Amino acid sequence: MTTQTPTLTGTPPRGRAAQVGRSITSSNWARELALLPVIALAMIVGALMSPQFLTANNILNNILVTSAVLGIVVVAESIILISGYFDLSLESVVGLAPMLAVWLVLPAAAGGSGWGFSAWAAFAVMFVLAIVVGLLNGTLVARLRLNAFIVTLAMLILLRGLTMGLSGGQTLSGLPPEFLALGSTRWFGISIQIWLFALILAAATVFMRSHPVGRKLYAMGGNNAAAAAAGIKTTRLTIGVFVAGSIIAAFAGLMLTGRIASVTASQGEGMIFTVFAAAVIGGISLNGGKGSMIGALCGVLLLGIIQNILVLSQVPSFWIEAIYGLIILGALVFNYLAGSKRSRRVV
Amino acid sequence: MVTSDPTYAIEIRDLRKAFGSTQALAGADLVVRPGESRALLGRNGAGKSTLIAMLTGLVRPDAGLIRIQGTDGQVKDGAGADSIACVYQKSTLVNDLTVAENISLGAYPRKKWGPVDWQAIRSTAVEQLTEWGYEHIADRTVADLEPLEKKIVEICRALSRGPRILLLDEPTAGLDEGGSHELFAQINSLRERGVTVIYVSHHLEEIFKVCDSVTILRDGKDVLTAPTSELTVEKIVNVMAGVTDEEASAKSRDKDEHARLTQRQEPGEVVLEVSGASVGHRVSGVDLVVRAGECVGLTGLDGAGHVQLAQAIAGQLRMDAGTMLHKGKPLGTGDEIDAINAGVGFVPEDRHFNGYVPEMSVEENATLSIVDRLRSAGGLINTKQRRRLFNELSGTWAIKCDGPTQAVEELSGGNQQKVVLARALASKPDTLVLVHPTAGVDMTAKESIYESLQSLRDSGKSLLIVSADDDDLAICDRVVVMYKGTVHAELAAGYEEWELVGAVQGAEEAVA
Repeated sequence: MTTQTPTLTGTPPRGRAAQVGRSITSSNWARELALLPVIALAMIVGALMSPQFLTANNILNNILVTSAVLGIVVVAESIILISGYFDLSLESVVGLAPMLAVWLVLPAAAGGSGWGFSAWAAFAVMFVLAIVVGLLNGTLVARLRLNAFIVTLAMLILLRGLTMGLSGGQTLSGLPPEFLALGSTRWFGISIQIWLFALILAAATVFMRSHPVGRKLYAMGGNNAAAAAAGIKTTRLTIGVFVAGSIIAAFAGLMLTGRIASVTASQGEGMIFTVFAAAVIGGISLNGGKGSMIGALCGVLLLGIIQNILVLSQVPSFWIEAIYGLIILGALVFNYLAGSKRSRRVV
Repeated sequence: MVTSDPTYAIEIRDLRKAFGSTQALAGADLVVRPGESRALLGRNGAGKSTLIAMLTGLVRPDAGLIRIQGTDGQVKDGAGADSIACVYQKSTLVNDLTVAENISLGAYPRKKWGPVDWQAIRSTAVEQLTEWGYEHIADRTVADLEPLEKKIVEICRALSRGPRILLLDEPTAGLDEGGSHELFAQINSLRERGVTVIYVSHHLEEIFKVCDSVTILRDGKDVLTAPTSELTVEKIVNVMAGVTDEEASAKSRDKDEHARLTQRQEPGEVVLEVSGASVGHRVSGVDLVVRAGECVGLTGLDGAGHVQLAQAIAGQLRMDAGTMLHKGKPLGTGDEIDAINAGVGFVPEDRHFNGYVPEMSVEENATLSIVDRLRSAGGLINTKQRRRLFNELSGTWAIKCDGPTQAVEELSGGNQQKVVLARALASKPDTLVLVHPTAGVDMTAKESIYESLQSLRDSGKSLLIVSADDDDLAICDRVVVMYKGTVHAELAAGYEEWELVGAVQGAEEAVA
């Protein structure tokens, strides 16, 4: 019989603790950046398939610029997912918010309201709309405890309908310069769209990683009841998260309108599926509490690169969707395999 | 011993299993005769869970022999979930279905052309439940059942598939005294029907009521197998902990010495004052006073209202009438923040439900309740300050983890509970309200928690321990007993066990 003195107090030996602590931190990074090899692989494939792929012009003006709007909506959705909820209606905010702003500004002859709002006043109204949408979603989910999926699905349909009604199904163009600046401005030769994406992503990363509210969102998504018991105002935070998501999505919509210099009645339609795909591929858990902004960025970049390769390699456009779906499935399986390496003990 | 006797219900020889570098089982034996009731004991990490997981076939052994008596009475090689009926600590019943449907869940009897045979479901259930004298609950919805009834439904379901071996893991968790006693009687009648029982529990006194024999695991080996009649609780604890009897008695002498030295001085001024508090229909007009440096126990049967009273104090429930004051600040507002700001720390009843965030680090969980107070100048979290605070808390509660960044879900039950205790203390409260502070933790962790609690009390904090566990109440200076929503009795430390049992059951003579 071996005798082992029970240790009632005390911490494990320091050396071991420090060592394990380090390995845990590095494995966190490994999980966040699990997609980097895949992105590298995709880039090699792209370079082999098309000589235009690895050019600064293609990477900056095609991949990054087209990913920027998607990426910002992914940031918004990721924050909501980490908090333990869903928001499907973000894609219709991307459509409705700029539509409303443009409609307020344009004369009646151009399909607008003819009320002659200044661009800045229109922006303000647009953000008020986003806040109202977020408040509605958040209140229904947090206070009435309705299911976020169905609430935001209904909101998606409602907002889509409002966009249709407002525009009469038409595309509005002839935008004032304030709108176009969001698409055409360049800083240091790089489109403002990329700068804005980088800025929002950096802010969200710091916020979620190091701000008390960001950590509360992780706690809420990981175990809502435990967060509430620790004195976190979960109802208020939930509503706040939906409002923040909505505001960010409205801004993304405005950027999209600025880039294509018009707003169609179907702007943002179908976008939410790509948003979810990018977030989940990037390691954001649909169950909440897990994932990081850096991971989400990797998801966005991977999807952007794949889309770009499919276009460049002249795959018949009818097949692009199917291949895209297949690649998303493959990425999900890869992510699962990469994530499950962490050995789990039964005991 | 004979090696392969067909009269064994379970025969395990030299079972080995390693997870990575950890040897979970290092040659464990477990031999049980049909109809025997065997307790399987060991501290967390001794290999109990691994052994059970291999018995039911969840985990494959690296080496060793497993023979189990099948449903047909024949002994076969290898493990199998279908030959052992398992009842775990956590409920596996579907709350919204009836008892009858739960019993047949997943193995529905069919009619000729395939539709579910509801009559057969009902008659199977009634047949099973009649053996327990519970046939009247067959048509009730599980959500409406008492804890004991749920446990019985689980056992019925497990046995309805035919196994002759029943594995019970912490079966009395969530049961009150009366429920536990009835369960023991039922288990004893099962043995008379020839069912083999494997009984896993942290409550050692239960073992003596239910089991014929005991197997104790330590460091992945079986270190002692003996009839219950030859053992005492003390002996079992020593074997589990791996200390000799002489060492143990020396230790307990030290403890007595220590207890004498830290004899309670007079408690200080009133810190928490509850008067005429009513919460829902569970608590009506309760008065309670807790002083500085005092440890008060609060107990009662399931549903007596003691848990709800504690939840109201901690802001989890809103008080409907009465007043609650903590150092002059009102409580009972139904808002946890108010309680935390008033200086009340709270350890909730079920750590899995609202105690911790599983994927978050130990450090973040422990400081979750005060994350707003950890800001640096820029508004972001001051990680250095957080680490310093965590080290302090982890020292107070003796949390064992690989490092501050380890996820709480990877810790043992006892250490998870300590993280929840640490979280309650993070806000530097004057009063700690703890509900079932040692639920589902092993003896060593329990003792470690008691030590920490006592030193907190000695440092002048007030403690309100809400529990039905005798050991938890034993460290209290006095115990307030609630019965049907009101305070029924108050017992000063040193009460006799029968006094407590009587008061909890609502006996009149116990009224103080």
